[in-house]
Amino acid sequence: MTWQNQSPVVELRAISKDFAGTPVLRGIDLAFHPGEIHGLLGENGAGKSTLIKILTGVYAQSGGSVVIEGREVRITTPKDAQRLGLGALYQDAELVPSFTIAENILLGHEPGGVTISRRAMVEEAGRILREMGLDLDPSRRAASLSAAEMQLVMLATLMHRRFRLIVLDEPTARLSAQETALLFEVIRNFQRQGVAIIYISHRLNEIKELCDRATILRGGMISATLEAADITEDEVTRLMVDRNRSELEVSNPGYAREGQGLRLEALATARLKPLDIEVRPGEVLGITGPIGAGMEEIERSLGGLTAHSGRIVIGGTECRISDPISARKAGIAIIPEDRRKQALFPNMSVSDNVSMPVLRSLARAGIVTNGAKRRYGEEVMNRLNVNPRQPLKAIRFFSGGNQQKAVIGKWLQADARVYVFSEPTAGVDVGAIAEIYEVILRVASEGAAVLVISSSLREILALSESIMVVYAGEQVCRLPRSAFNYDSLLATTMTGKLSATPEAVQ
Amino acid sequence: MATSATNNQIKSTGSNETALIRLLRTWGTIIVIALVGIGFAIASPYFATVSNFNNILFAMIVSALVSIGLTYVIVAGSFDLSIGLTVTTTSIVTAFLIPVTGPFLAVVLALAVACCIGLVNGLLVTYGRLSGIVVTLGMSFVLGGLNQYVTNGYQIAVDYREEAFRWIGQGRIGPIAVPVIILLLVFLLGWIVQARTRAGHYMSAVGDNPMAAYYSGIPVYRWVIFSFILAALMCGVGGVILTSISSSAQPVGGQGYLLEAFAAVYLGATILGKGKPHVLGTLIGVLFLYMVSSGMNMVGVPFAARQLFNGLVLILAVGANAMLNREEIHLKFI
Repeated sequence: MTWQNQSPVVELRAISKDFAGTPVLRGIDLAFHPGEIHGLLGENGAGKSTLIKILTGVYAQSGGSVVIEGREVRITTPKDAQRLGLGALYQDAELVPSFTIAENILLGHEPGGVTISRRAMVEEAGRILREMGLDLDPSRRAASLSAAEMQLVMLATLMHRRFRLIVLDEPTARLSAQETALLFEVIRNFQRQGVAIIYISHRLNEIKELCDRATILRGGMISATLEAADITEDEVTRLMVDRNRSELEVSNPGYAREGQGLRLEALATARLKPLDIEVRPGEVLGITGPIGAGMEEIERSLGGLTAHSGRIVIGGTECRISDPISARKAGIAIIPEDRRKQALFPNMSVSDNVSMPVLRSLARAGIVTNGAKRRYGEEVMNRLNVNPRQPLKAIRFFSGGNQQKAVIGKWLQADARVYVFSEPTAGVDVGAIAEIYEVILRVASEGAAVLVISSSLREILALSESIMVVYAGEQVCRLPRSAFNYDSLLATTMTGKLSATPEAVQ
Repeated sequence: MATSATNNQIKSTGSNETALIRLLRTWGTIIVIALVGIGFAIASPYFATVSNFNNILFAMIVSALVSIGLTYVIVAGSFDLSIGLTVTTTSIVTAFLIPVTGPFLAVVLALAVACCIGLVNGLLVTYGRLSGIVVTLGMSFVLGGLNQYVTNGYQIAVDYREEAFRWIGQGRIGPIAVPVIILLLVFLLGWIVQARTRAGHYMSAVGDNPMAAYYSGIPVYRWVIFSFILAALMCGVGGVILTSISSSAQPVGGQGYLLEAFAAVYLGATILGKGKPHVLGTLIGVLFLYMVSSGMNMVGVPFAARQLFNGLVLILAVGANAMLNREEIHLKFI
């Protein structure tokens, strides 16, 4: 089947979107044909996810229209989108753990009337799995599946619902090479059945291998749509990088000093190959790579959340880190990406939140007065410019940026020698980003070893003294910041092969 | 990683556990129950008799109905603390209405009142966004107050001539008491609802992962409300039977069923290794509690020891089951 000869199944016409006056999408025109795999590329903030959320009913567009098979449609909820045959596999998709694979695949579409025919369900699910080329027992419980298998079963649920168009958002993030190959097989199967597929990925080789054509977004506009044959690294980099976007006026002048900071010796986890790195006191090491490449494993190992092998040495002494408590004792402060879930007590006040790790030193004869906590909270808020300056207000009422500053504030007096920032500006308003960068650099200048794990290359370039790229669970390179410019770092993260700026590698 | 994942695809679930652990997980609780039963049978010649079994069944009727009802709510992911007082309320409504409307309509209206209680609970928990514990705790106080208000603290007697109504609780078909038959019918129906129907399927999905259910287009709120109605309805049936058995409605006393029901449901969840409540397990759980009560009575064990024994069995069964189904990080304390 060739998709070129068919009329498009879904068309986007002049879609625009702004958030509180800030334009995020400025007039997107795109058409998706049956049986086409359409890649979507773009930097963080280029508008990819906003576009997808408009298409699947999570956001409403500010202007323009969505046309399905020639008819203009209104999509206001995810359910509308499903009804119209638009499905999406998000990165955080979930299954019902106690249900079998068959029950999950057919959830909401079970065969039978009032009673459900289990046998028909297993047969139907088995048929779908075979059709997809998956060798999984439909009677297995979802809870027993690996992350990769869950991802494949999620795909199977899309299969059953007979969608016209499926959006896959970084579907290989949690998969190994072998599993990725299987996933591609499944995607091609959808393609053969005439489903249009939008494939979002940061990995250029996947786009090249899988997609018929790829659209590159830049600053909320379409930069270009390339045919598969024309997709090259240079071309994509040129089209992706937004020269007009003002660079942040932050850079790391270099605070690294002699001494022993953090040393990892052959640190390895199930998804990370043995890794040796050293971060000196005052040094900021930026770690980047495609989502799921294994960068987050470094954070999880240091935070005591993942079983690991190898040695973690801080200030010259080896630390055994088996859980978050031992991580804290070793002087490691983790500022996680998912603040709300992992770092904040949303209903408690700012001062209660920030004084959590230092209660012992605030206590007088075992009693911590509210006054002591409030004064400490005020002090932290002043130092980090957390606004509004209301230490007794519940932290959930603060903006993302101010919440993030408070999370960092938690660790300021806690004598951490190693700071790990994971996506420190995710969900942070633009105005607060520079302030957070300042705080991170100040932490470094005071002599802590700092790891910044981020998928935003601008962030990495702004903050780092040295940069490490991780690809497919492996360290690609670890070089001084000066070895990279934006283009070469982008190319390295997309291909997993070092392409440093020539003049810097001597 | 790549190889381990592919191996997993070929191997069946949990291939690294021994047959013994699998056996214990599935049959452990039942083995313990059977051993306790055999122990009583050895200790007392009157224990393992048909008539004693009949007595046990008769004693557990109301408790079993309440427990089966609670099973649905817990499966759907919530709590219902008002079930005990729902029994009392429907019992009073039945006795109160019989002289007014006649027995048939009285029973129907009492069951309707029960359904309304469940509906209100369900609506508050879903659309009202309140916690199930709080809502149903409040509901049980409200019902307790109403019960006192309606009865003035006195029992309401049912006229001795209401023979058709008395048959519900006191009649027999052959050697078997009518309420036991009603219990078995409700149990069978309830089991089918849970294991075979769309309703039971969706209640499980909602309780296990409401987000996944929501994204799959399942009306989550509807099934939570449905579970509360079903629970209240079962309590209503129990209340009607209770009134019929004693030919009267008591203003208090229903609250005792609540704790028994929770014990039975969580004990039942360990039966057959399901790890989550199911109707068959709940019934066996209630049977166990009443069997112990009867057996210890015959052996002459003091009441205090019975309570102690039941409590220990509950903790051990649930604890052993948790050991057999270890999660990586356990941070749930409800």
